[in-house]
Formats: sequence, structure tokens, C-alpha cells
Amino acid sequence: MRMRLRKHEWLRTTVLRACYCTFSSPFPQKHVTKSNFESAAADLKNHVKAADFVAVDLEMTGVSSAPWRDSMEFDRFDVKYLKVKDSAEKFAVIQFGVCPFRWDPLRLSFIAHPHNFFIFPAHDELPTDAASSSHDFLCQTSSLDFLAKYDFDFNACIRQGVSYLSRRQEDEALRRLNLRYQNELSQQVRDVPLVSMTDILFSERMKNRLSEWRDDLLKGTSGRSQFQGSVNDTNKQFQTLFYKMRPALSLNGFTSHQLKLTQLVTKKHFKDLASVRVEGESSCSQLVVVYTDSEADRDLLKVREHRLIQMPRTLSAYLSFWQKEVMDDNRRGAEMKIKATIGFRHIIDLLSSEKKLIVGHNCFLDLAHIYSKFLGPLPLDAEEFVSSVNKCFPYIIDTKILLNTNNILKQKMKKSKTSLSSAFLSLCPQIAYASKESCDLTFSSSVKVEVQVDDTRSSNWNFGVKHEAGYDAFMTGCIFAQACSLLGIDFKLYLPSENLAYNEKLWKHVNLLYLSWINGDIIDLSTGHRTAESLRCNDFKKWPTRILFENIVLVWGFPSKLKTGVIKDCISRVFGPTSVTSIYRLDETAVFVQFSEVNLVSDFLVVKETLERSHDALAVVHPLSKLLEGGNTCAASYETYKDICSSPISKVLFADQAEAVGIRGKTILVESKEELETKEQDTFHEETIANAKSVSVLQNKTGWKHTVKDASSTRPSSDEVIDSFCVAGVEQIRATSP
Amino acid sequence: MVFVRPLLQRRLFSFGATQTHRNPHQQWSIKQVIKSNFADTLEDIKSHISNSEFVAVSLQKTGFFSAPWHRVSPFDTADTAYLKAKHAAERFQVLHFAVCPFTVRASKVTAYPYNFHLFPRDELKMEMPSCSFYCQTSSLRSMARQGFDFNSWINDGISYLSREQESAVKNQMLNPTLAKNVTKSTSTPSVADSVFIGRIKSRVKNWKKTYKCTSPSKDEALVRSLRKLVLGTEEYDSRPWMNIDVCSEHQAQVVVELLQEFADVVPLIVPAKGGVTQAVRVVLTSSEEDKDLLLRKLQNDEQELTKKVRGFREVIDLISASQKPVVVYGSLNDLTFIHSKFIAGLPPTVDEFMCSLRLAFPMVIDVNHLMKEIGPLRKVTNIPVAISYLKNQFFTPIDMVIPRQAMENEDTIHGQNVVKICELFAKLCSVLKIDPASVQSDEAKRASALEAYANIFSPFSTASEEPIDGDIKIWTNNTRTVSCEDLVFLWGFRDRVTAGVLKSLLQESHEAFFEEFDVRLVDNSCAIVVFWQRGLSKTFLNTMNNCSDMRGPLREMVSEGLRAAGYETYSRACRLGIWEATLADSLDKTLADSDSASESDSKTESSDSSWCTEWTINLDDL
Repeated sequence: MRMRLRKHEWLRTTVLRACYCTFSSPFPQKHVTKSNFESAAADLKNHVKAADFVAVDLEMTGVSSAPWRDSMEFDRFDVKYLKVKDSAEKFAVIQFGVCPFRWDPLRLSFIAHPHNFFIFPAHDELPTDAASSSHDFLCQTSSLDFLAKYDFDFNACIRQGVSYLSRRQEDEALRRLNLRYQNELSQQVRDVPLVSMTDILFSERMKNRLSEWRDDLLKGTSGRSQFQGSVNDTNKQFQTLFYKMRPALSLNGFTSHQLKLTQLVTKKHFKDLASVRVEGESSCSQLVVVYTDSEADRDLLKVREHRLIQMPRTLSAYLSFWQKEVMDDNRRGAEMKIKATIGFRHIIDLLSSEKKLIVGHNCFLDLAHIYSKFLGPLPLDAEEFVSSVNKCFPYIIDTKILLNTNNILKQKMKKSKTSLSSAFLSLCPQIAYASKESCDLTFSSSVKVEVQVDDTRSSNWNFGVKHEAGYDAFMTGCIFAQACSLLGIDFKLYLPSENLAYNEKLWKHVNLLYLSWINGDIIDLSTGHRTAESLRCNDFKKWPTRILFENIVLVWGFPSKLKTGVIKDCISRVFGPTSVTSIYRLDETAVFVQFSEVNLVSDFLVVKETLERSHDALAVVHPLSKLLEGGNTCAASYETYKDICSSPISKVLFADQAEAVGIRGKTILVESKEELETKEQDTFHEETIANAKSVSVLQNKTGWKHTVKDASSTRPSSDEVIDSFCVAGVEQIRATSP
Repeated sequence: MVFVRPLLQRRLFSFGATQTHRNPHQQWSIKQVIKSNFADTLEDIKSHISNSEFVAVSLQKTGFFSAPWHRVSPFDTADTAYLKAKHAAERFQVLHFAVCPFTVRASKVTAYPYNFHLFPRDELKMEMPSCSFYCQTSSLRSMARQGFDFNSWINDGISYLSREQESAVKNQMLNPTLAKNVTKSTSTPSVADSVFIGRIKSRVKNWKKTYKCTSPSKDEALVRSLRKLVLGTEEYDSRPWMNIDVCSEHQAQVVVELLQEFADVVPLIVPAKGGVTQAVRVVLTSSEEDKDLLLRKLQNDEQELTKKVRGFREVIDLISASQKPVVVYGSLNDLTFIHSKFIAGLPPTVDEFMCSLRLAFPMVIDVNHLMKEIGPLRKVTNIPVAISYLKNQFFTPIDMVIPRQAMENEDTIHGQNVVKICELFAKLCSVLKIDPASVQSDEAKRASALEAYANIFSPFSTASEEPIDGDIKIWTNNTRTVSCEDLVFLWGFRDRVTAGVLKSLLQESHEAFFEEFDVRLVDNSCAIVVFWQRGLSKTFLNTMNNCSDMRGPLREMVSEGLRAAGYETYSRACRLGIWEATLADSLDKTLADSDSASESDSKTESSDSSWCTEWTINLDDL
């Protein structure tokens, strides 16, 4: 994930990698695909059970489905969650790194077991009737390109990737299967009158063919070979084989209508033939006509007798019993298929049931992916999401939070970047550079980490490939181990039975995640509380004044050539020079305008609407006309932005998105205005609007100034507002007076 | 008993495998084109296109549909089919694009197949051609089974921009371009202009003088950099230049005009954002030859840039410029992709699409449509089957000649389809007694023969590469005509009810069902009911709306949430782009939407009813 943040520093590492690759071996880690999944999962199970903590990392096919959905400062927490939700729902996870870390008291070092799973969604591998409807996932072109630069093996992923299925999908698939089975039981092949001539001909031909086949069977082996010879041209359509130890004829290359007819023919005309649908390897089902010799089957029936309460005696009853058995078989097969498709989710189930401490780096999006891919559909709001995640993974530590909020670590990190690889280089140089000599001298205070793959251990290796989930997870784990040691956790005194998450030095960091790194919004998974990171503004960058979302107007659909500065200028000229605190360009078609006062939001909307309504020639002179040029400019409050974000649609340009979601500026304008006005408890607001509207009447009278003064005395702080209203009023007068 | 099954499965599997890889013909060698050999190939294909009579194209995409009901079905009208194809074209990406210029001479087909691997890489860092695209898991997997190399696709695929995107990019790119020569205006310049001209002239003269009098070799580095600072000049390709800022296009024109007086300077236009001129850059050349050199270099640069911007679209432009008939299979699918990726965004209606497409490709021949002329082929949905049918039924020996020297990636099988399309086309022409050679020789004859089959977009034709399963075939057995008005969509019933059960439940519930009717499941969530007797659908819908006069199972089903809507709701769902995963959800949303916005829609409703006329439905017996 974090590719946008990490992009800039890849060069540095490439240089470093080039320096070190000459004298060490490649980073050892276990790559897991379909072929070795079973054994790797069994091994991993033991490692996880013994582990003190497990580091994880994910690689996805993309991060944001549209440029305007990128994370930004103007994300309110609920909007940020919606963006994360959108990303997790649309993109697929293609690599999953799991790296259990265990403290070895004898060697006084951590033993890491990095696993790099290639995984690939498997909706299509489910039996056809159990598959849910989603068949596709989104890819972000730049992400694929980026991963390809790091030699990501997409072929391994698509050809050999371990499948995955969420708990919800599994339940759904099993439910569908059950329903289908019940339907099949309740309804056998129905009689259909043969209407068309072709159907009659086909049925007749089928009847001949089947009786021919059966007669040949009864005659003996010589007959069969003759039969096969006679249908040489069509032997692809008819194949004799054994099904459940009975001679059978499999039918291929027929339409399902033809198969249905064949089923009818067998039922009607052959007492000793049964037609059964078999789930083939390919998802389509196949028809097999089986010869059931009552004598030969008698023994079999006897074996079964004690198992069945009511024993079917007659041949036809026997046939239907037999068909049911095949159906059961099909169902069991389908169930097995569903179970097999669960694949990688077994690992997630393991992490969850072991209740181990999970370590990730800036992992809110990772968790959302884990939730949507392996548990079920993401909840609508962040609080619910957080509490469900907490139930599943009770202890999570985010190393990015740790490095940015703990004072000891902040000092150690100085001001270096906290992106994964730079944090790894600055905190764990002994592991990153992996040179033993210097390790003993310079990094004596450092935590030792050895890597174990299968049974070979090593403490000397080349740089791993960044953005390979296994190596990223390893780096995350190393950062965490080193951070623990810096915080004063002495692993030598540490008992294996102890849960690291309960350590007093770590406790206050557990379950805190960055909801948004840009805003410094932190969310506590165990309580759902959100806090803003307080300390970063001092040292990170100059923090703009706190964003007040109720002061924000979203404007879109204006001429795309319009520069941000010009928009600010337009608005300032109407509402006063200090009315706009900040303006943020969402994309070429949309901006956020933050006003200094809440009232200005509705005022802006009102002025915009009146301007649009009046088709006066003079309206062109109004400063806002520049913004309204083209007639497609829409404006709405911040809530609308949330609505637009919650839509599953993702158009590239925001204006197109708003239109696709069905938000037309004019309707939303009225709604939001009314909403705001009714919400407004302060009568002053309405008063000022009234003032502004009646300006034209008052202007020539002396009372004009008096009213304004009155208003300003009720709220002295709002001089600017009044001023801006004056400006607006004057503009309106200009616009309306002939 | 237990261990017989794996045997069977293996057998079935091996059988299935032979079926999918069944290729009755030899493997043709098809030139695989990636980033590295694209430039060379472009020259080859250019001559091949101009020397051939037809160009066959075939696309492999990252997916076909996102939900079962999104695929084009027999009950789709031209409009809804187009909207579905549009939705797919906007969602998915082209993996590779096979182009095959070919000529038919009697029974000999000479073909030059190329297969271009495309990846929408953002070469210009402008989030084009597409920020993101969808992949259908099963499509990727089946491509992987065929040995498609996804790593090479991403690393070596050729990028492209559509015509629309190119013009948008040109506006945003701020590279200075050569100023076009302007003819001297005859009118006398205004006072302001002449003052401006005088000022600029003296400025250029002075600037030139400083360069003429001091020979550059004598200058020290310091002096040179000082001059840069003082004069505000820079070097363009080791030639000195300076910018003359202009406030308007008119001023730019005036400056370019006056610069024509100076023989040794080359004027360049420096654009600002939004396509306006920001300044005129004056580049000083040392001699006449140097000037030529610069001009040539500028031209080259522009060509290089264009090449980089257009990428694969050059091939599309070549085909389009040649005006050769384009042969496709399953036109609607491939053509919507071609239009949206290489020409422009898809228009909202099928008519606009056809107009826009015809401008680029005046003659498109759908092999699928030709196949419809031969009765039994009507229900065949894939090319190999059609070819083998024709082989068995007609004597049409077609000699495929692919004159091609040894190729580097000969083992790859991608793009075989396009050659099969050529072959099928030639076979069909010979069966239908159309002489494809007449295209070039006789204009008048061509109009009567092939043109009759050109530019017809049958709404229902499956894409050539689409996985074939039983469902498609069921639908194409018998043909009866029904009006859209006689179709009703039903949803909200229990999960997994079969069409048969539904039919028997309905049969005893309402008088509308006493006459002949049919039920078919569109997807898991929704069924379509066909009333063969006109007008009954209305009766039924009225009953559903009023909840009156309901009996037995229907009453129960309605209380469980059964809903019904006419065809117009369905086509509205397509028009509004409400592409939910299940049709039931989409119809629900459409109805909810129409409640709130019925007013604005009432106008469009009336105009749209014109298409609700007779159409053909292929419904199988249930």
C-alpha cells in the first residue's frame, strides 16, 4: 500500500542495494503459492503459536479508484473511512506477508519466519451455483506499473496464487448450495411436451443411440468395441467410461436443452438406465447416462440396507435412490470445493484465534482489506468497523504510530522519515546492512534478528526486495522489536508466557491507528475514540488552522481553466477579503472553500442561487459570475461530499462523479440551504439575510446604516460578515436595479 | 467406489482440456508486438494495411461483465445492448489487440496478422489513458492458462491515448512549438501596435548585436553566466534565445510577423495552460544551415512526442485513414472498446455512437452478421465451430497464406482469433457468393454485395473470446417475436427459485397467467416473464400495483416482497447506469430513483417509447 508515500525514496535504497548485493545472499523468505500452501500453512501454524508477535503487510492492486478519492487534509474522519472502505472494496489483495517473531532466550535474538503469500481472488473457482455475483476487481494502472518496477511476479499471482474467500462469502456459498440441493430434491426432471420437430427427431435419435449402446453392453466387450468403432466421428460426443463402478456413457458437446431432452428419453424409455448430472472439473455440469444392472447392484443395496430406514425395493425407486446418492455426491464435491477455496483465509483465522499481537506499519487500510477480504462486507461507519476488528484482532500495534507518538522513539528517530523503509534503515541498521563485524561494535544496543526459513537460519543476507509483502512484514517486525528495546523492554528478562501487548511500556500504544496520516487523526480500536495527534504540528510542518468542516463549501463544475487563486479572489470580492480562510483544489473540476464563519456557507449558497435565477444581463458583472460561467457550477455543503464519497461509482473527475451519483447542484443547493437555515438556532443569521435582501429598500434611507449597526452590536465579532453582506448586497442591487 | 471418481474426473478434465485447446488448424505464426518492437512494426503494418483489402481486428480484454445480468441478453434492445457494451468498455481494459490486414483472391487469403500487447501505462504522468480498470478474475485466470505473460504485459505493453485525450494533453503540455508563418496583414497597424513593434524590434536587434559582436569562444564561463542573468536569456540546444512576453494572441501574431524580418532567428510559441500563448521565444541561429538543422530538429521532436503520446493509436489511425473495411466478430463489444479507448468517450445513445464510429471506420463488417445468413449457423456462437460447420457442409477450400519470415516469439498462441476471423470471413463470402475482391475493382458492385452486410450492429452477439457455456445456446433455439411491452420483470422472490417453480406458482395465481406465458431467470435475483398474449402484462402490472385480486401463492409472494416492473424500468436502469451486482437491486434502485425524480424524467419517457416496438426474442421452451 503506502506506495505514494514511499515512492520518493526507492532510489536511495536501490543505490544501497547495489552496494550490498555484491557480498551477501538474497533475503531468505518463504514464498508460498498454491503448490506449497498446505505444508507452509501447517508450518506457519506452529510458528504463529510460538510467536511473541506477528508482523503483517499487504500488497494490493491499487489504492484509490479516482484522483479525488486520494487521502487529503480536508477528509473528515467519516469521509476518510469511506475512502478507505471504497479502496478496500474495489481493489484486490495480491500478496500477503506474514512474519512471526519469536524471542530465542538461548541465542539472545529474535527468530523471524518471513512468509510471502501470493494470493488471488477466487470468486470464479466456486461451484457455479454457489458463486456470489461479484466477479471482478479494480486495478490502478500506476500501482501495477509501480509493483512491476519492483519485479513483482504477477504471473505467480494469477497462475499460482492461493485463493481466498471471506467468512461471509463461505456462508453465502454454502447457503446457496443448500438451497439448490433442496430445489433439486423437490423437483426431478419434469415432463416437457416435445413441441418442435427438431426436438422429436433429436429425442428419437438419442433413444436409438442409447439402446444401441445398452445392447452392445449386454452383448459383451466385443460389442462395445464395435460400438465405439461405429461412432468414430462422434466419439467426442459419446464416451464410454465407468461411473461408480458401472458402465456409463458421458455426453459432451450438447446444449443444455439437448441434455434435458436426453434426460427425458432415459427416464421414459429405459428402465435400467439412469441419467445423472455430474459436476465436472470445469464449472459446467455434464450428463452421464449410467447402466444400472439390478443384479449387480443387489449386493450393494444389501450393504446399504442397515443404513437406510426405508429400503427402496423396486427398480424405479432404486433408480431415484441412486440419483439422490449422486446428488449427495455432487453436493459433497461442491462443498469440498468451497472449503478448498477458503485457502489463505485459514491463515487469518489462525492469527485471529491465536490472539497474537499483530504488528503493522500504517495499517488502517491493511486492516480494512483484511476485513473485507476475509471477514465480510465493511460496515458503514468507522466505529462499527473498529469494534468488529477489535473483536477479531484484540491486540494491534502500528509502528508508524509508535515512532511518531512516543517521545523516546521520536528522539531516537530525530526527524528522519517514518515511512517503512527509511524507519527500518534508521532504526535497525544492523539488520538492514547485515554486516556482522560492525554489528558487534557499533550496534551493541541493537536487537539481534535471525531469519529462519524451513530449517535453515541465517543472519546475513542481501537487501530484500521492497514492496514484497514478506520483506515488508519482516522490516515492520524488526522496527517493532528495536522500538521495544529502545523503550526499555529487556527481552532477556522477558518470559515467553508474557503477552507483549500487556507490557506497561507498550500498553498505551496498543490498538491505536492512524485513521489518516495526513491529518494526524488517530483512532483507538478498543474504544472507537478518535484523537488528533497533538505534537506533530510543532515539528512536522506548519499546520494550517484547524479545519472546520461546517465552514466548508464544495464547489464543482466550474470552467476547468479557472485557477484556484482566481476562485478565491472571486469569492473574497463578494464576501470580504478575510472571508475565505483556505481553498483546496480537489481536482480540476472541484474545490473546497473554507470560510471564516459558518454563516458564510449558506450566504454563499444563497447568493449563488439568486445569481443563477436572475437572468439579468447585469448579473454578468457580478464577481461570482466568473465562477458560474458555463452554467454547470454546483455548490453544496460538506455533507454532500460525504454522500458522493459513499457512492460505489468512481468517475475520474469529481464533477462527473457528482453527476453520476445524481447530485445536481440546484436541488442540493436548495436542500442544503433549508437544512442549514433550520439548523441555525441563531435568529441573527436570518436577520442578516433579511437585511441583505432588503438592502435595496434601505439603501437610500438613513436607516440602512442603523440596521447594520444594530446587527453588529448583537455580535460584535462578526463585523466582517456584515461587511461582506454589504458587498454582496451592493452587488445584488447592481444586478437587479435597471 | 470412492477411487473411481478421481479417475472419472481426470478423464472429464482431460476431455475438457482437449476441448478448449482444440484447434483444427495449424498454429499460425502471429507477430507479437510489444514496446520494444513497436516502432519497427509500425512501418510494416502501414504498408500491409495499404496493400490489403480488409483489416480484421480482434480484442482480448481483462473482462466481459461484472455481474451475470450485465451481459447482453436476447431480450435487450439495441439501446440496452449498447448501454451494456458501453458499461463493459468503460470498465475493462484491452489486454491485446490483434490486427490483421488481409486480401482475398479467389480461394486464397493472404493475411498479415499482428498482435499488439497493450497496457495503459501513464507515460506522460497525466493519469491517462486510464487511472484504473477492472479485471474479471476468471478472464485473467483463463488467459494465464493460455500462457499469457502478465509481467511482460505490464512492463512491455504499449500505451496509447485516445484522440480526445491527445487533444486534451496537447492543451496541457507546455512545450514550445514552432510558430506557423503568418501572412503579412495588409491593414496598417494601430498606434499601440506600431509602438510595440518598434520596441520589440529594437530589443531583438540589441540582443542579437550582443551575440554577434562577442565571439562565444572568447567568453569565460563567468561572463556567460552573467550575461544570462543580465539579459535574461537562455540557451536552446546551445543556441541563445530570449522570451518576449505577450498579453494576447494578437500580440503573439504581431511578434511572429515582425520576426520574419530577421533571417537568422526562429520564433517558437510558448503556450500557457489552457492553450493560450504566453510568450514568443526567439532562438538565434548561427547560419542558414544551422537554421535548417533547428527546424528539422523541432519537427522531429514533435513527431517523437506525437508518437509517444499516441502509442498504439497510430495503428488505429492507420486503419481509419486507409478507409478499408474493418472485419470484426461480435461488433458491438469490440467496437465500443475501440471507440472508448482510442477515439473518445462513449456517447450516451447508440445512434450517436454509430455516427461517431462511422466517421472513423466507414465500413464495418460483422462476421457474426454474415453467419446469420446461413440458417444453421445462427445459433453457433464461436468461430471454430462455425469454421468446422462450413467445412463439413460446404465445399469452401480456403488457402490461408501468411507470408512471414521467422518470428522471435513463435511459441505464443495469442491473437490466433484474428486469423480465424479472416478465414471465416473468406469462407462465408464464398458460401454467400459475395466476391470480396470486388471491393477494390468495382465500386458499384461492392455497394450491392458487401455493403448490404456492413455497419449492422446486431444487439445480441457474444464476444468472440468470451467463455462459452450452456447458457448462451439455450437462448438461441427458437425465435418468436414479442413486444417489449409484453415483458415483465419479477424479483424479490425466494433465493434460488427455478424458473419452472416460479412458472407453476404464477400459473395458479392470476388470470393473466391463464394464457400462454414463459418465465426465465435473468440472474439469481430476477426473472423475466413473457406474455405471449398482448395486453396481459398491463393487467398483471396493475394487479401488482394495486395489490388487489391476488390469489394463492402470488399473494404470499407479494407479502414476502415480490415486486414487478415493466420493460421501461429495466431500460431506465441501463440508461441511468445503475449497474448493481444483481438485477433486483438495480430495479429497486431505479424505482426508488424514479419516485424522487419522476418529474424530470417524464419528458424523456415519451420520446423513448418509440423504440418499444416489435423486436425478436429467442426463447427456449422451458
